[in-house]
Amino acid sequence: MVESIVSTGVAIGCIYALIGITYNVMFSASRVFSFTAGTLGMLGGVLGSLFIARMDMPVVVGFLLVLAAGALFGIVTEIVAVRPVLKSLDQHLYVLSTLALALIVQQFTAIEWSTEPQPFPRLLNIARGGFDQQFWLPMLACAAVIVGLELLYRHTLVGHAFLAIAEDNFAARALGLPERSLRMTSYALAGVIGALAGFAGGEMLLAYFGNAPMLTFYGFVPVALGGMGSNRGAVVAGLLLGLFQQTANFLVGGVFASVAVFTVFIIVLLARPEGLAGAAFQRRV
Amino acid sequence: MSMTRRQALKSAAAAAIAGGLAKPAIAANGPILVGYLPALTGPSSSTGVGINRGIQLAVQEINAAGGIDGRQIELITRDTQSDPTKAVNGAAELTRGQKVSVVFGPVNSGESLAVVPLLARTNTPQVHPCWVDSLTDPQKYPMCFRNAPTSQQIGAAANRYVVEVLKRKKVAVISDTTGYGTASVNAYVPMLKAKGAEVVYQGNVDAANPDLKPELLRMQSAGTEAIMPWSVNAGFLSRIINTRGDMGWDVPIVGQTTLGSGQTKALLVKPEYWAKVYPNNFRPVCYATDGKLSGRTSAFVDRLKSAKIDMGDTLLWWIAVGYDTPRMIAEAMKNVGTEPEQVVGYLNKLKGFPGVYGDISFAPDQHNGYPDNEVVMVEANSLRDGAFNLAPGYSA
Repeated sequence: MVESIVSTGVAIGCIYALIGITYNVMFSASRVFSFTAGTLGMLGGVLGSLFIARMDMPVVVGFLLVLAAGALFGIVTEIVAVRPVLKSLDQHLYVLSTLALALIVQQFTAIEWSTEPQPFPRLLNIARGGFDQQFWLPMLACAAVIVGLELLYRHTLVGHAFLAIAEDNFAARALGLPERSLRMTSYALAGVIGALAGFAGGEMLLAYFGNAPMLTFYGFVPVALGGMGSNRGAVVAGLLLGLFQQTANFLVGGVFASVAVFTVFIIVLLARPEGLAGAAFQRRV
Repeated sequence: MSMTRRQALKSAAAAAIAGGLAKPAIAANGPILVGYLPALTGPSSSTGVGINRGIQLAVQEINAAGGIDGRQIELITRDTQSDPTKAVNGAAELTRGQKVSVVFGPVNSGESLAVVPLLARTNTPQVHPCWVDSLTDPQKYPMCFRNAPTSQQIGAAANRYVVEVLKRKKVAVISDTTGYGTASVNAYVPMLKAKGAEVVYQGNVDAANPDLKPELLRMQSAGTEAIMPWSVNAGFLSRIINTRGDMGWDVPIVGQTTLGSGQTKALLVKPEYWAKVYPNNFRPVCYATDGKLSGRTSAFVDRLKSAKIDMGDTLLWWIAVGYDTPRMIAEAMKNVGTEPEQVVGYLNKLKGFPGVYGDISFAPDQHNGYPDNEVVMVEANSLRDGAFNLAPGYSA
């Protein structure tokens, strides 16, 4: 039982964490919570199945095409759903615009792909076993993204520029940073991470249009728990969420597992509204 | 010859009266308008697409044979797109705009729940194949008939198979969290208990949950001897089957027809995991123990093949129930005409209409026409040409 809780819990937690990071990367660049994050995860699974299982492409080619499609969808999100509402952030119109785009893509997928879950291909031709690739692939993807983002943000000029616009958009622009290009690049990067989450977790979640709202919802929990904009917080909270959810599945099961997850979620937010790793908000006076 | 104004008015009035009198005569020779509300697109369209093949074939055959007393059937189709709102709009247009004589469908319960009460107010006979129990009621909906089983009959057949044929007493009943799933569990668990079974596990689980091992371990530790899943979600059902296979547990799985669908099969980790999975189906469209269909069904399949109707991507019972519906109405209209009250009066006394899907009988206080004993369980892994082998334990 413990083995099953850990392998499935950590794997699904890694997928939640990656979707949480997807939210954060878009948020850092624009102060917008784009609800297309779960849609990106869904597209990772559906497009992976489309390219590799249905169109018989090699796994590597299919994988790269999925990441490219994720980047493209990220850029389209920025242009269509985020840029037009940036001037009125205080009205939170982005909630409507990003949700609308997410719903359009979700329904289009349902019509053109299938309303039934479709099989996701085995990515590596190795025998199924206890600690299977469906569990360790999401963990590997999560580790790769954490390391990659650390290297990007800490050791590259572009990464420093990302941090600058995340820290203070106006000051960064005053210093001559190309804010719009950086924002689009951030959305493309978020698209890649979101699609990677769905691709790595494809075998576990299947290629199913209905994964979009599920990932949008459960992917947001690590963001809220971990602190908005904090990738480290999202990873820790995502893993905890996955483990806790799986433990609740074993201990109480059925719909009560979801009730247990959200009870803890509410308790944590009541005790620490800024999230586990977030800084308390200070208002300038 | 000149004509006075009075003569002209008289002639015009006579022409108008003659025209008015002639109109019903023309209508009586014109086509019989039949409204049809299938879901041909959208999330629940697989059923509608299958049923549609049968309906179209039946209408073609009836018209080719001279129609109903020389009048052709004109099918006026409104695709509901699996959307109850569009189904309601379609029903309103068919009855008020097109003034159809009868309505077939909708073919999914969600749409029928919205349409049946509406049609009841329009004096239009309706025949649908939807399972939800409340979708017929001779008092509230006196013109609505069901030529398919109810949910009660479906659950009762599965329960009967588990308790009486497989002789399993400790049963786990699981569903997803949809309205259909939870309603099925709530209805079938008391029925199981009444048959003497012990329900050792009862649960509703989110269909998106990727790991059902905790649930199956809980069932196993409770001593489950048969798992009964009630869901139309192929992903959810395949996860139950896959988890059972990965656990090396040979407990039988008995339940919803989707257990035997191609979508469920496509999601199985290994084809052999489909063994000992028994979904609902219907005896007249199943292969008997000798591997053959009954004479009536076999002749029907030959007609489908000669009409080049594909059976590989759908289920035979969907085509069969579609095929039977226009034939049943045509028989009524041939005997008593097309007036709504006459058609309903005929159906109220219908006894053993010989459908491919099953023999249909109605009574004034019973508008559920499908016989109990024709609802059976089948071997999921025996699917060929849209039909299954009867599950082990049934007599030929």
